[in-house]
Amino acid sequence: MQINLEEMGGISVFRVSGDIDINSSPDVKKSFDKAINAKKNKVVINLKDVGYVDSSGLATLVEIFKNLRSLGGKLKLTNLSGKVKGLFEITKLDKLFDILPEEKDAIASF
Amino acid sequence: MSDKAANEREVVIEVKDLVRRFGNRTVLNGINLKIYRGETFVIMGGSGCGKSTLLRHIIGNLKPTSGRVILLGEDITDRYGSELDKVRKKIGMSFQSSALFDSMTVGENVSLPLREHTRLDKSVIDIMVTMKLELVGLRGFENLLPSELSGGMKKRVGLARAIAMDPQIIFYDEPTAGLDPIVAAVVDKLIVDLSKKLQVTSVVVTHDMKSVMSIADRIAMLYEGRVLEVGTPGEITNSRNEIVQQFINGSPDGPVRFFQQKGDYLDDLTQ
Repeated sequence: MQINLEEMGGISVFRVSGDIDINSSPDVKKSFDKAINAKKNKVVINLKDVGYVDSSGLATLVEIFKNLRSLGGKLKLTNLSGKVKGLFEITKLDKLFDILPEEKDAIASF
Repeated sequence: MSDKAANEREVVIEVKDLVRRFGNRTVLNGINLKIYRGETFVIMGGSGCGKSTLLRHIIGNLKPTSGRVILLGEDITDRYGSELDKVRKKIGMSFQSSALFDSMTVGENVSLPLREHTRLDKSVIDIMVTMKLELVGLRGFENLLPSELSGGMKKRVGLARAIAMDPQIIFYDEPTAGLDPIVAAVVDKLIVDLSKKLQVTSVVVTHDMKSVMSIADRIAMLYEGRVLEVGTPGEITNSRNEIVQQFINGSPDGPVRFFQQKGDYLDDLTQ
C-alpha cells in the first residue's frame, strides 16, 4: 500500500494505491494524522488504485473524517471502483462521505 | 447447483477421507466434502451423528485419525499453534452457547479479536464495533453486559464478534438451538443477509429442519459418521434415501435407530 500527497492550491490530494485492510489501515491512519496535525483541512482522497477496503479501512476513513470535521475541515473521496463503492453502500457510509467521480470534481467542490 | 457449476467454483474447504476414532468408537468414518466460495452449506444430522465433531476438525480444533482438511487452500491437518492461527484469522466462529465473556460489555466482547490480533487504534476499533453491531441489529447496546441480554441477542453479539475480523468463512454451530421460533427465524434471516452483504461462505451445523430449508444453498446429510447425501434443499427433499426422508419428516418410525440398548432386558433386570 502506498500514499502519495500532492498540494494543489491549498487542497491536499492523497492518492492511495493497494488494499486498505487490517494490515495497512494503521499506516493509512498515521499518514493522515500527520496531515491533520499539519493543519491541512481541505482533503481529497483518490481511491482509483485501491482494489479493496475492509471494515478496518472503512473505519479508518470514518476516523479521518471525524478528526477533520472536528477541526472545521472537509474530506472528499473520489474514483471509487464499483467494488469499493459497493462496500460503502453496504455499510451505509455512502451517506456519510462526500463521494465524487473524479479528482477534478472534488477539487472544484471546495 | 449442478456438478458443472460446482466444478467452476473455488473450493474453500475440502475434507478428504476423514476418519476420527475415539477409543474403539468411530465417530467420523470416511468423510469427503467440498465447500465452495460464497455458498451457505449446511451440515445436518441427528444428535450424536458427528456433525459438531466434523466442524471441529474443519476449523482445526480436533485432528483426524486419518484423512486431510484443506482450509482456504492450506492443509491444516498437521498444523498447530501460530501456524494454525494464521489460517484461522480468516474464519469466524459463532458458537452454540454464544461463548461471550460475562465480565466484558457487548462492545468489549465484539472488539476482543481486534484488540488481540491487530495494531488498530482504539478509536478505529470503536467505529468497527459500531459497524458490526449495526449489521446484527444491536447498535446502541455496546455498554450492556451479556447478563442483561436475551438468548437471541447473545447469539447476535456472538455473531458480531465472529465477523469482527472480516472473515472469509463463518462457521455456525447450532445457531438456532434454544431459541423460540420467531427469534430462530430472525437468526436465520441474519445468516442469509450477512452471507449476501459480506459475500462470505457460511457453514452451518444444525438439526433444525426449518432453519436448514430456509438458509441452505447445499446440504450434507450426516448419519453414523458418514455423508449420506449432498444436494440442494430441493434434491434433499426429494431424496429416495429412507434415512434422509425419516430425518426431514421428523418421523419416529423408520430405519434410524433411537434405542441402542445392549444385551437382554430381562437378564439385566434379574442379574
